[in-house]
Amino acid sequence: MDEETDFDVIIIGAGFAGASTAFQLLKEGIEGDRILIVDRGEPIGSKNLTGGILWGRELDDFEEYLGNWEMDCPGIERAINHKKVGFLSSEDALFVEGRFASWDGTGGTDEPSQRSSWSVLRAKADAWMAEKMEEAGIFVMAGMKIDQLHIDGLDHESYDCRDLTDPAEDSGKGAAQKWKVDNLPKELVEKIRNGTISGIVQDGEVMTSKVVVIAEGSNSVLTRGYHFDSMLHAQSKDDMLLGVKEVIHLGKEKIDERFNCFAGDGERPPSGMAMELALSLYRDMAHDAWEKYPNTKGLYPRCGGFFYTNKETVSCGIIVQLKSLPEGLHTYDLYQAFKEQPAIAALIEGGEAIEYGGHLCPEYGLHRMPHRFTRDGALVVGDAAGLVFANGMQIQGMNNALHSGKLAGKAIAKCIADGDVSAKALDATYTKSLKSSYIFRDLKRFEPATKFLNNPANFTWVPELVGKTANRVFREIGEEKVPAEKVLRQVRKEMRAENKANKKGMGLFGMLKLALMGRKL
Amino acid sequence: MSESIKLGLFTYDVKNGLGLIGYNVDEHEHAHIIVETSKCNDCSHMMCVWGCPAQCYNFRDQGLEEMKFQYEDCVECGTCYIMCDQGAVSWNHPRGGFGITYSQG
Repeated sequence: MDEETDFDVIIIGAGFAGASTAFQLLKEGIEGDRILIVDRGEPIGSKNLTGGILWGRELDDFEEYLGNWEMDCPGIERAINHKKVGFLSSEDALFVEGRFASWDGTGGTDEPSQRSSWSVLRAKADAWMAEKMEEAGIFVMAGMKIDQLHIDGLDHESYDCRDLTDPAEDSGKGAAQKWKVDNLPKELVEKIRNGTISGIVQDGEVMTSKVVVIAEGSNSVLTRGYHFDSMLHAQSKDDMLLGVKEVIHLGKEKIDERFNCFAGDGERPPSGMAMELALSLYRDMAHDAWEKYPNTKGLYPRCGGFFYTNKETVSCGIIVQLKSLPEGLHTYDLYQAFKEQPAIAALIEGGEAIEYGGHLCPEYGLHRMPHRFTRDGALVVGDAAGLVFANGMQIQGMNNALHSGKLAGKAIAKCIADGDVSAKALDATYTKSLKSSYIFRDLKRFEPATKFLNNPANFTWVPELVGKTANRVFREIGEEKVPAEKVLRQVRKEMRAENKANKKGMGLFGMLKLALMGRKL
Repeated sequence: MSESIKLGLFTYDVKNGLGLIGYNVDEHEHAHIIVETSKCNDCSHMMCVWGCPAQCYNFRDQGLEEMKFQYEDCVECGTCYIMCDQGAVSWNHPRGGFGITYSQG
């Protein structure tokens, strides 16, 4: 590394993972003018979308650059102290609801008093973070899409960025699909996949660095193209979720009132509510679809609903497993059904949608991580690396993005100081720390829980069974009271008589198996 | 209201939803998604149509004989690239500064 490079580190993507890497590099003593962070959005943040809730206080570590982020960052909306989870069927809504004094962070509680969960709007938050990066002296460039990575000894004009991810002209269908890259000369592909990365190419221009950090987010073209993820050429709908949401304006006062929120003062941010639901709203829609499109008969959309209060708005949306989407159902119509379920409709009444959007979310789990997190001169962080914890009830990615960025920043600074930024050196630092971090420990420990929560039963008969049972147990219609257990049995009997799928799914063994899996939660 | 859920009568007004988003649409020659629609004719599932949250793909679901694709409303999620197994979708991000601009996110 005798040759001088334009920068020490170039970071592609100014989301939480990229920003965190940049700030950590500063903390490790790398000069701001040796760090370049680029983002294809202009302004920065304008390409980003989340549900979303930020968990944990990872941002505290950057207090010297961010100050009182909790109060000052425009996209950090409300501190969540009120959490609801539950089941939603077309008629019934059943919630478990908690209001936790210790989540207010005002002290005087048995549990550690700390705010650690915020509703977030990323377009605003990312723009603010970018400002803070600039203030700290980091080079920030907005509106810059990176076409290619610069590889030592390789003429970037010898291939096109689309060559790496496009289907081949003579591609077959389904499993026989072929890719353009398979038709490129072998030596070229070998260099693209395993050469030393030493910068970026944009509009034919090269900028060099000792290390390139890929922080492109969940739909990362570079991670696919440069073979961090060996599977991204294959269709990966098995491990991808699509979020579809609206931001609905209700006004601050209405939100404070409707959701019983603390309004906020000079010292404490306003409080808010976060709700996540398993949905079984789609039975009749699915049956209609199956009739028209029998190819995917029996496939039931596995959907979660989310509802978060922001300062002036609420984020209302669904997240659907792409592999569970049957033909005949549009994802945006799945959202509409959620929005019109009476319990949700009541919450957004009088509101006006001000933004609509969709975003992918990886749900890789340990079985489907990128086959490598580093290459000679490069590494991958955050969503681009699939570092998302998703167990069907909860999706956490932003805290993981921030954390992986810190680990990357520390590792890169050390490797640069040691004069060795090879994949081996980056693995010995970054990958190693990543694999012993809470991110991987969480993924490992909760893998069985993920299996349980993704069980189709939870998106079909379970919410209905629970909802109907609760409905009858809590209701008084002038008839003799029946113990809950008996009601449950009666509802189960009726539901099993109703259709074949229920009869099969709700058999004793099926239910027992589900219960046994549920212990691992 | 719950009655309509049972009947599956839901249709989201996508055009209205998309109207709420800001775009800086690039010229056709720089379209970030290119679909070889002739390959769609033999497709048995049209999963791009069902997956796309922005209704950029219109086909038999809309009573059309041929796939009609338009990139202008794209929210750049990447779902179509993942759903298509016909070798028809070429996907890349729009050029810097072009495409969708969320103001909330």
